[in-house]
Amino acid sequence: MSELQWVVAQLVKVGLLALIVAMAMRGRFGVCWSFTLYVAAILVGNSLATLWPHRFYTPAFWVLKQGVYDLLKIAVGIELAWRAFSAFPGAWRIARVVILLLLTSSTVALAWLTPRSMYRNLWDWQPGVVTAAVWLLTAVALLVVLYQIPIGDWQRAIVLGFAPYLLVSVTLLNIWQRRGWQVREEIGLLDSFAYLALVLFWVRAAWRQDEPPHEMVPVRSVA
Amino acid sequence: MLELVLSTVGCAALCYSLGRYNRSLALQRWEFVLNAPEQRALDALRRRIELDSALAHQALDAAARARDEKRAPDAITVLKVALSVLEDAGADRLTRLRAMGVYSRMVQAIRPLPPPSPAPFRGTRLKLSARIARLVHGLMVGTQERFRLWLTMMRLGVGIVLHGGRRAADAASQQPEHPKAYAEFADELSDFEALDASHLAAFEALAASLAAVDRGGRQQLWERIAGNTR
Repeated sequence: MSELQWVVAQLVKVGLLALIVAMAMRGRFGVCWSFTLYVAAILVGNSLATLWPHRFYTPAFWVLKQGVYDLLKIAVGIELAWRAFSAFPGAWRIARVVILLLLTSSTVALAWLTPRSMYRNLWDWQPGVVTAAVWLLTAVALLVVLYQIPIGDWQRAIVLGFAPYLLVSVTLLNIWQRRGWQVREEIGLLDSFAYLALVLFWVRAAWRQDEPPHEMVPVRSVA
Repeated sequence: MLELVLSTVGCAALCYSLGRYNRSLALQRWEFVLNAPEQRALDALRRRIELDSALAHQALDAAARARDEKRAPDAITVLKVALSVLEDAGADRLTRLRAMGVYSRMVQAIRPLPPPSPAPFRGTRLKLSARIARLVHGLMVGTQERFRLWLTMMRLGVGIVLHGGRRAADAASQQPEHPKAYAEFADELSDFEALDASHLAAFEALAASLAAVDRGGRQQLWERIAGNTR
């Protein structure tokens, strides 16, 4: 790990701690438990790799932690969908079908079309996983807009933050595949900067207070 | 490369849709759905439709009288007034049709409407679109999809009628003394009234569907919606 990478990793760590504090202060832990778990997992992964780099800044650990992060990202998409649509049975029925179709097609594509997940061929499988996560979040966003489902600013920020970062991630993997291992450090650094920007975006969104929805006054009960 | 393209498309769709998403508007819409004063809204729409129809008819009759009395410039002016009444009414109907499309997705079930029929229309294009809509209606299963088909047909119909009305007014400007253009305009007006009858029926069906949720259920659902967004 280069010095600059270490510095950026420390900044990300500070950002993640600020995010956890902001989420705790605004009572956002329970809004999406999988996201809370995801942030905690990132913080643990980051701390292990920066505090004991000889033991944890290794290809094997990278594959393991990436697997955990990817699973948690999928869980975030599913939990957000469940929380948003569960009050609306009609929309939830459609959302379930769409999510199931996306997950099935992604799993089939990843299982059949990509080789075994290893660090040396990560550009063969990781972009597929990221694309599946992007489309899961996109499907949730499109259904939310189509059915006019009210979601909070925090849920919106989670999804809006993930999508551009995941796109940057796929782009960097693509460049890495084309240029080869000699650009590994630069790619890692760019990815860390993008992640830092994402964390700062989330911190800002987590600090901001949601407008409280007003009480409904039934018109007919007045009449 | 495929993943990059797919991710870019997905990311763009997500950012576009959520970027335009307005939480307050969504809450307002739900509040309207759960709180809709359906009878009052229905009466207001009925009055608006009657008023538009009366104004357009009055202007058309005045134009025909002016033409019969050989006052061509007056006839054209009054016919253009009739056209502007129709255009304003058309803009109002299109806005409401769009809103009805949004609300139709927010209710769980919609009172079914009869299949579209070409019978009440005079214009060939409108008759044809009603025939096609009737065919597609038969192929659809869900009442919500059928309702939205109705809305699409009506949106198309308003466009056809306004286009026909403008064409008739242009033709009358070129040959003010010729009664054919006035008769064509009268046909378009009649088609607009037929569309208005469907518009009112669709609005009534939607309002009845919104009213189908009991008051306790409304309050409960609103609390869940408001709670969801905290």
